[in-house]
Parts: sequence; C-alpha cells; structure tokens
Amino acid sequence: MVDAVAVSKTPAAPRPLSRTLHQWGLLLGVIGAVLGFLLGYFLGGLGFVDNNSNGSNIQILLAYSLSAVGFLAGMGFFNRLIGSLLGQRPPTLADEAYLHGEGAGLSRYFRLTVDHKVIGMQYVVMILFFLFAGGLGAMLIRGELLSPQPSYVTPESYLTLVGLHSVIMIFMASAAIIGPLGNYFVPIMIGARNMAFPRLEALTFWLLPPAGLILLSSVFLGGFPTGWTGYAPLSDQAVLGMDAYLVAFGLIGLSIMLSGLNMITTVITMRAPGLRFTKLPIFVWGVFITSWLGLLAAPVLASVILMEVFDRTFHATLFVPAGGGTPYLWQNLFWFFGHPEVYIFIIPAFGLIMEMLPVFTRRPLWGYRVAVGGMLGVGVLSFFVWQHHLFVSGIAPALRPFYMFSTEAISVPTGIIFLVALGTLWRARTRFTVPMLFVGAFLFNFLIGGLTGVFLSDVPADFSLHASYFVQAHFHYTIMGGEVFALVGGLTYYLPKMTGRQLNARAGRRQFWVMFISFNSTFLCLLAVGMLGMTRRVISYQPELQGLNIAASISAFVLGASMLFWLGMIVWSLILRPALATQKNPWESLGIEWQLPTPVPTYNFDTVPVTWALPYEYDTGQPAAIPGRTQPALAGGTPT
Amino acid sequence: MPPRRRTLINIIAGTWAVLAAAGDIALNSLPLPPGSATDIAGSETQVIRILAMMAWPIFVAVVAGLVFTLYVDRVAPDAREFDAQTLRGNSRVQTMWIAGSTTIVLGVAIFGTITLANDTTVPTVAQAVPNTPLEVQVIAQQWYFTYRYPSFGGFESAHLVIPSDREIEFHVTSLDVTHSFWFFAAGVKADAVPEHDNSVDMQPLKTGTYRIECSELCGIWHGSMSDDNAQIVSAGDFNTWAQQQQQLDAPIMKFLPPYSHTYVPAPGAYGS
Repeated sequence: MVDAVAVSKTPAAPRPLSRTLHQWGLLLGVIGAVLGFLLGYFLGGLGFVDNNSNGSNIQILLAYSLSAVGFLAGMGFFNRLIGSLLGQRPPTLADEAYLHGEGAGLSRYFRLTVDHKVIGMQYVVMILFFLFAGGLGAMLIRGELLSPQPSYVTPESYLTLVGLHSVIMIFMASAAIIGPLGNYFVPIMIGARNMAFPRLEALTFWLLPPAGLILLSSVFLGGFPTGWTGYAPLSDQAVLGMDAYLVAFGLIGLSIMLSGLNMITTVITMRAPGLRFTKLPIFVWGVFITSWLGLLAAPVLASVILMEVFDRTFHATLFVPAGGGTPYLWQNLFWFFGHPEVYIFIIPAFGLIMEMLPVFTRRPLWGYRVAVGGMLGVGVLSFFVWQHHLFVSGIAPALRPFYMFSTEAISVPTGIIFLVALGTLWRARTRFTVPMLFVGAFLFNFLIGGLTGVFLSDVPADFSLHASYFVQAHFHYTIMGGEVFALVGGLTYYLPKMTGRQLNARAGRRQFWVMFISFNSTFLCLLAVGMLGMTRRVISYQPELQGLNIAASISAFVLGASMLFWLGMIVWSLILRPALATQKNPWESLGIEWQLPTPVPTYNFDTVPVTWALPYEYDTGQPAAIPGRTQPALAGGTPT
Repeated sequence: MPPRRRTLINIIAGTWAVLAAAGDIALNSLPLPPGSATDIAGSETQVIRILAMMAWPIFVAVVAGLVFTLYVDRVAPDAREFDAQTLRGNSRVQTMWIAGSTTIVLGVAIFGTITLANDTTVPTVAQAVPNTPLEVQVIAQQWYFTYRYPSFGGFESAHLVIPSDREIEFHVTSLDVTHSFWFFAAGVKADAVPEHDNSVDMQPLKTGTYRIECSELCGIWHGSMSDDNAQIVSAGDFNTWAQQQQQLDAPIMKFLPPYSHTYVPAPGAYGS
C-alpha cells in the first residue's frame, strides 16, 4: 500500500451511529427496498385508479419505484440531506475520507463510497454480472433456434427471453466502457482528485443494480412481449411484466443522464491547470462526447417511458389511435433516444482503442485532431438519423431520402476512425499483446458492422432487410464485435493498473482466437439467414433455413464457452491465484494513469501536475505529466 | 523504401486487386435474394448487388491494410526495440480520405434516392394490358393477415392471391397492434399500423407460391404469423378464383364492415 495522501486518520473516538448505519448500507438497502415495495404495493391498492384488464399495474409501479427509493435510502444516499435538514454540522475532512473509503479495505466496495476508483471496480463486477446474465439468455435463444419449431421454450417465454436478453445487454452496453473504465480513469487522466459530483457518481452506479433486478423480476410477472423497443400499443396490451420493463428502463435512463451530466462537468471544470482540450487523452474525448449524447438523449427516453406509464395506468391513449394518439409517437421518440444510444455504446470504444493503439505501436496517435473531429461528427450526426428505423413504417415517405443521406453520412466520420487507426499502425513496430489483438479484431468486426449498415441505410435495400436477422447481425457486429471486444481488450489492458494483477497472456491469446473466430462464424451465418428472409424475434422459422441456424447456434455456444473461459481467467488471475503484475507499467505506456503508484492513492494526486502533453510522445518518451512534481521533468520534453 | 517492403506492398496490392475483382465478378452473377418475382424485388436485388460490389473491395482493402500494417511490421510482444520514425498525421492523406469517403457516400445516397423514386412511382415495365392497378387490402391482426379485394365487392380471403399481369396496390392496415406485412419474394415490406393506411405498389413478374410473414414483433404468436401459400397466378386463374371467392363470400358480406382504408378496432383490442 503506497497511500501517499494523509488527509486524515479515522479518529479513535467511538464510531458514530451514522457510520455504523453507513457500514451496513447494503443490508439496510435491501431492507429499505422490501419496505418500499410493500409500501408501494399498499398505496397502489388504495384504488386511486381503476385496474386495467391486466391487473393492478399502479400497485406494481409504485412498489417498484418505492423499492428503488427505499434501497437508495437504506444505502445512505439521503443521510446528508436529512442531516442538514436536522441541523447537523457539515461533513468534516474525516467524514469525507470515510466516504471515500480511505483505509477501509475490501469493505469499501460493499457500501456507498464516493471514490471514483471504487465505483469503477463496482462497475466492473456489475457489468460482468449482467454481460453473463444476458449471455445466458443468448445461449437459451440459440438453443431454441436449433429447431424451426418451438422445442423447449413456449412462445410466451421465448419473447420474455428475447426481451430480457436485449434489455439486459442494452443496459450493460450503455455502461460497459464508460462505467468501469470511464469512471476509473477519466479523473486520473485529467489530473483531477475526484469527479465533479462524487455523490452523484455513486448514485449513477447504485441506480443500476435495482434496475437490473427489477428487470429480471419481470419473469415473475409474466415477462414482457415487446423486446427492448417496447413498441406501443403492444406494450399497452402487455401483462404486468411490462411495468417492470418501464421502471427498470426509466432508472437506466436516469443513470445515463446523470452520468453524462457528471462527466461533462468533470471534464470541463476539473482538468488540471495546463491541460488544455487539445491535450486531452483521446479516451477522455470519447467519454466526453458520449456524455453529451447521454445527457441529451436519455431525457427523451425518460419522457417516453413516463408517457407509456400514463397510457397503461391512466388510459391516456397517447399511443392508441382509437383515443386520438398514434403509435408513431412512441416510435419517433423512442428512436430519437435509441439511435444516439447505440453511439453511446460505441464512441467510448472508439476512444478506448485509439488510446491503446499508440501504446502498442509506440507511435503518436496519427491525426489526433481528425480523430476528435471524427468522434464529434458521429456524435452530432447521431441525432439526425433516427427515422431510418421507420423506413417501412408508412410515416413520412417524403423524408426517407433525407434520412438515407444522413445515415450514410455517418460513415464519413466513422471512416476517419479507421484512417487514424491505419495511420497509427502504418510502419509501426506493433507489439502483439493481447489487448492489441482485440484492437485488431475491433477494427475487423466494426468494418463489417459499418459496411452492413450501409445496406440498411439504403431505403430500397432496407425494404428487404429491415427487421430481419440481417439487422440483428449488423448491430451485434457493432456492439458485440465492436464494444464488447474493445471492453475485453480494455480490461486486459487496464486490470494491471486497477488491481495490480495481470491476466495470463498465453491463455488470453488462445481465448482471443476462439472468441474472434466463433463470433464471426455466428454472425456471418445470421447475416445470411437475414438476407434469405428470416424475421427477427421469431421462435419458428422457415425449415430451409435450419442448416444456417444450427451453424450459428453451434458457433454461438463456442463463443459463449470462450467468454466463460475469459471470466474464469479473470477469477483465476485476480482472486484464486493472484498473478502480481511484474511491473508497475507493464505496457510501458506514457499515460498519466500509469505514472501513478498501484494501487492509486485515494485522492490520486499528491500535487496536481501542471505541465501536460499528449500521452503519445513515444519518440521522446515523455509521459503526459509527472505526478507529484510541478516542473517539467525531462529537459528534452517538447510540449506541443 | 527498402525493396523488400516495396515487394510486399506490390504483393498485397495485387492480392487486393485479384480478390476484389473475383468477388465482384461472383457477386455480379450470384442469384441474390430477394430475387426477381416483382419489379421492386428486382430493383432491391439490384441495389443489394451494387452495394455489395462497392462494399467488397472496400472491405478487402481495409483488411489488407490491417493485415499489412499489423503483420508485416510486427515485433514480438516483449520486444523493446524502438522505431524512430514518428508520424503525427498527414493532412493530404486525411483530406483525400475524407473527400473520397464523402464522394462515395454522396454517390450511394443519390443512387438510393433515384432507385427509391423509381420504385415508388409508376413502374416502367411494359404492360401487356394497360390498366389501373388492382387494389388489395392487407388487414393485420393478432396473429394473421386477411386480404380484401375492393374491386370484387370487397370479399375477404385468408390467403393472398394476385394476378401476374397487373400492377398491385397494397393497402396495409392493422386492427390491433403494429404488425409488418413482409412479402419477401415480392420485395414488399410495410408496417401495419392501426388506423393508418400504408400503401405500396408493385408489378408482379413471375407466377409462383411464396411466403408471407409478419416482421414486427406483435405478441406471443408473432413467430407463427406467416403463410407459405401466397400465390401470384395468371390473369385467367385469378379471375376464376376471385369470382369463386366472391360467390362463396356472398352470404357473409352483409356482416363485414364496408370497405375502408382503415378500420376502428373493436373496444378492448388494446387490452385496456
């Protein structure tokens, strides 16, 4: 332990009650959730509104919402608020240090802690849990699709399976990179000692476990039949499981929104003196742009979810034509959120792979400014393309050429990312480490994902491919082949910094090849069945497509096994047989995060560095900045 | 540039040219879906073919670039030698790349718009018998499609039968939730939205028996909302069938609602 900072020592005085409560926050949170659930269920049963034909959904809505509030209250999110209302003294430095989990050992991971690094680790565990929960759903779906007729799943459970797999994965993917790595490394990379709003950051994390559990609990309420898109009026018709979807998705939207707000404020206001926007690591740029998308798009999700709650509970008929509403309202608003959402998944992955490329090529990032411009362009354009999801919906045919053009235009800034990657690799002495393999796979998979997207953006081709397995395979190429590959590579790269332990490189290389090949054989088959006319989300399909489906399923099982093997590697190397990283900086990166001691001290920096450069100066070997010094360390350093 | 490197670049470029040409030649002659059973299916096939022929050389080029840069210049994972040549960017290459990709995008968008305009206006196929399009209504509900023929008194049929000699004008609507009418071989996909009339025109070119399915998630039996018995038949067969059907349906016509482009569903159709 090299805790350089000594803001305070926990006083030896008897532990105050508030700290004892705080220490047991997780347990109290569960109790709070149960109490909230019962209270909501009781209040909802008082008969404010008529029950609709599906049962009393006001009861279940209130129960879920209050259980989330109860959980947060038990965790201690409202302690400070209530304390100040009761006239308690403001928190002292010692209180803050306690809240940061200073010197608390492992227990700090199991309570409300505001240290961004603890939250980053909490995100790692949660993301892995939901990645594998969603993956289990995928395995069950592929198992069912081995036969063209329903085999071991009923059509009803199949839809729930599809819905759960999709929402869990959407939920996981929207935080997969920005949650673990963004929270952990953005403050460090900008020379800050914490986020701008540390408590808000903890809230964005702790909103997600209740959201995930509420979502999973929908199986006890009959599931939901709509997939992740929740199209009305099918959702108006659905049983109570739909309300679980609505509350869970609402909480996820809230988390995306608040996380965006926090990240934007952090990057704008908390940068170290001397760290200009032109010297921000490219990963921070990716997170920054993504955060804008989250902040601007997620409120639309929250509103549309609320509208659907009104439709189901109060018969508002916003989406029901018989009452003057229209299903197109849901489709437009949902996709106005939904399309930026997919870039919320992928832009952090762009940032992450461009952050890793210079390290393994030992080169500056080739074209840093166009790379930033590319990500900005993708981010801005992502708000102008949503109606390509409605090309066959019968609404506004006159607008189709515009949305075709705006969608195809996104390939220009996306192409820039490829240009930057190829430029950085050009004539470089690339080190073939495991994270580098994943960077290469990302580029390959995302290339297929991008090129298949052009087919879907073209309206006449989309008439045939829309809502088929071609679409499904296309977005799995971008999100699984893109984001998840970047995540696996990124975790392999950053775990030595986060935990001081390293994954086994030989096992990692084998795992990579199995994962890469089985991923491609799965989704190439699914691209083909889509072109041949197989609809998404069906339990029965044309018997002549069974061969391709069996091939896809078998590949998917191999892919699932390779992912399990990866999880096993993590558990083995980190917990069972801790393989200590042999070096402080095993990849010899110049990033500021690698110049700090491992584990990183609670407040990151003793003295915040003021002389900064881009962390890619591999020709001079000058790090981004030297922590703990206020003067340039290297005489030969040439600040750019 | 060292000669070995130049040779490698030539080899990679040559491989690219061979692969790109071979792939495009194959794509040009492959029978791609959805086929040519109707005019718009034909134009969709053509668009998919052209896009694939554009995408394939780009795909091979980028992969070749990746393989070249990753493989040819690689060093061992634990190597610590250092390449002194530092490139930070090249504005000429960047400008060319952006201009090139913008040109391709503009070309693709203009091409798509022209195809779209051709598909949604009167077909240019020479018709044996010039006449008005045959209107066929597709009524979707959980979990089947019903077809109505207003020019034959508005009778209803559980299977789609259309003549091959006339332009067909589909009017798609729904009685409950959103469905999507997908006539794969005909290249027709149109969402069925309650109280909305979604119309698609097409000219059949080949007779045959085809599959129709629902392509928008519509509830439990969405996967079974399909019919393998949709037919495009000759004009004579169609007229015989339509007259037969009209007679069969005559006794129940008075129970059907009058023909309309949309229908107000019965109360309770949305579950609340």
